[in-house]
Amino acid sequence: MTRETEIRDALRAWIVKTNGKIQPDQLDDETPIIERRIITSLQVMDLILFLEKLSNRSIEVDTLKVGVFKNINAIYNAFFASVIE
Amino acid sequence: MIGFDKTLRKLCDASVRDYINPYDHIDWPESIDFDQWFMSPELISLYGTEAYDKLTDAEKKKLSFYEAVNFFSLNINGEKSLVQGLAERLYKRNNDEINNYLHHFLDEENKHMVYFGQFCTRYAAKIYPDKKMYFPREYEPGEQDFLFFAKVLVFEEIVDVYNVAMSRDERVMPLARQINLLHHRDEARHLVFGRQVVKDLFNSRSSGWPTETKQRVQDYLNSYLCAAWKEYYNPEVYRDAGIEDPYEVQESAYENCNAREHRKRVSEGCVRYLLKNGMLREEPAL
Repeated sequence: MTRETEIRDALRAWIVKTNGKIQPDQLDDETPIIERRIITSLQVMDLILFLEKLSNRSIEVDTLKVGVFKNINAIYNAFFASVIE
Repeated sequence: MIGFDKTLRKLCDASVRDYINPYDHIDWPESIDFDQWFMSPELISLYGTEAYDKLTDAEKKKLSFYEAVNFFSLNINGEKSLVQGLAERLYKRNNDEINNYLHHFLDEENKHMVYFGQFCTRYAAKIYPDKKMYFPREYEPGEQDFLFFAKVLVFEEIVDVYNVAMSRDERVMPLARQINLLHHRDEARHLVFGRQVVKDLFNSRSSGWPTETKQRVQDYLNSYLCAAWKEYYNPEVYRDAGIEDPYEVQESAYENCNAREHRKRVSEGCVRYLLKNGMLREEPAL
């Protein structure tokens, strides 16, 4: 299993656990998690801490661009792609 | 529309009477001795956990310094949004009754940021950043105003329990006690205002909301109460205090049964008020 797959799986597992209702097969890498309120704005703080733990670096919220939490692809590209590749 | 003229006049009079200049009210020492308590030990987020018990006395005091910086930082971050929201509502239509008090509220919140900011930047050279994010959405009429003041109330109710406890705790170093006391003096008035304005807004606006909106608002407030507590458990604090595996420590401290009891105890008054007035449907799972 590649590091990229591991990260995407970890993200999916976290979203499923945090939402508590959605099934893993209902969530692909393009599912809009904010727009569909799978993750609420109040849960984004937890998501940021989870991403910090996973990436082992601090995230400066002020510098984040609109859409970074749109779906798993967007999250991966914003926080991991440049480090993994 | 709100009908609490008499209370507002009393609050305005008290704000005028207690008016202080934040720049000459506190003597800021050039440096501080780190071998003392900056928070009451029982209010440190790791208190009652295995991670805390492993620390030496000196390490616990060092942690108390960064916990105080976090407590002051989360106040600054909360007050920045509060000042923004209050300024937006100042002289807005239908707010005539509360405008005079909003001036005091704004003034006092700005002063609090002066105290908290001075402490954090002078002695820690940092303010822990806000990790909260809000996404734009549609609101029913009156929903946004209600949620704004309700969130302020929840935030300030928790903070005030900490302020009162630390302002009276002789183990806490004098400067930190003084800041907590100054904050509490103003917050006591803000809480009187907040409880009344939130109750009146909810009663007057929620009757026009569809059932699902009312439930959504109640559930949001429930989630907000839980989210407000998360900021007290900051991995950056643990890292700065030299504690290993800060993210694991944060997760296990938040889940710790002593910490849950602590959150329930501190939030008790606020939760009771929100439940009694129908703003919550059930007790939050803190």
